[in-house]
Amino acid sequence: MANLDEAIFLRINGWVGSVPALDHLVGWLVSDYLASTVLGFALVVLWLAGGDDDTRMRRQVGVLMALVGMALASWLVFVSNGLFFRDRPFIDLDVNLLFYRPTDSSMPANSAAAFFGLSSAIWWVHRRTGMALLAVAGLHAFLRVYAGVHYPSDVVVGALIGVVGVASAYRLKGLVDPLPAMAVKAARILCLA
Amino acid sequence: MNTNVIDYYIAVTVSAIGVLQLTASFGGLRGLLFLTSPLATRLIGLILPLASVVWFFATGTRNISDHLGGLNSNQVALLFFLGNLTAWVLTVTVTSIVNSGRLTDPQQAAGLSRLRSDTFYRALLHSVRRWAREWRTLMKPYFSE
Repeated sequence: MANLDEAIFLRINGWVGSVPALDHLVGWLVSDYLASTVLGFALVVLWLAGGDDDTRMRRQVGVLMALVGMALASWLVFVSNGLFFRDRPFIDLDVNLLFYRPTDSSMPANSAAAFFGLSSAIWWVHRRTGMALLAVAGLHAFLRVYAGVHYPSDVVVGALIGVVGVASAYRLKGLVDPLPAMAVKAARILCLA
Repeated sequence: MNTNVIDYYIAVTVSAIGVLQLTASFGGLRGLLFLTSPLATRLIGLILPLASVVWFFATGTRNISDHLGGLNSNQVALLFFLGNLTAWVLTVTVTSIVNSGRLTDPQQAAGLSRLRSDTFYRALLHSVRRWAREWRTLMKPYFSE
């Protein structure tokens, strides 16, 4: 299994250098800034958009759940990093690296957990936007492998943790249920929702 | 101060102004628009985020570890929030001034929906006054089935 993971990694990472201009763009796309900012703005748009008050309320509660789900996913990654450490690919293999050398565990991929968590939470309330953002999260995860910072299994496990985090957030929502809607109604008094 | 911090904050603020214009234009929130022309508004809404992304990545080395001057994920999240907050305050302040003469017949709506026909600060004032006057009645739905 580990060999297959390495083989897929080496295959994907081996494409680096084929189109230098593309590698430059990938450097932007896999940075710590771009994908997180795009997904953050998706939350802003989802918060503000929406026809009637009921639709807007449903989406705004969805945004709150996305934030809780992402926080849960990040916590799960934090806990798993304390229990398990996997070296980055560039430690063990000859890698074409398009990124700096992170020192934390390669598995699970924190960014994949956060982005897939956020995207799946949005998918819950707005299918079309959610699918688009899942595609962004998927592309980002693939490019992290391409850039040489993660094995494929790291991003798959990260994505699963993200989805589990959001599913748990929706489970917990049942326990605190009027609170998210009340928070949105309170923001409505200040014309923020 | 770390230039990445300042640059990212500026890029997010400028992008957020564009995103707000784009969203307000498509959502019909006239109280948040700088301009009356939908085409010009949407053009601004597209250009500002794209230009700030290009500016951010073209003017420095961004792929660096947080140990060497890059930003960690908590800093990115905080700066994203602050940038959006700045963009919101700038947008509602400017639009409340430029739209005060244009939007003179506000509809009876609450929250963001009121910004379809009113400026932010006027809507806020109306909402707070209404709550101060009728808070007992308005609180009832929060505690009923």
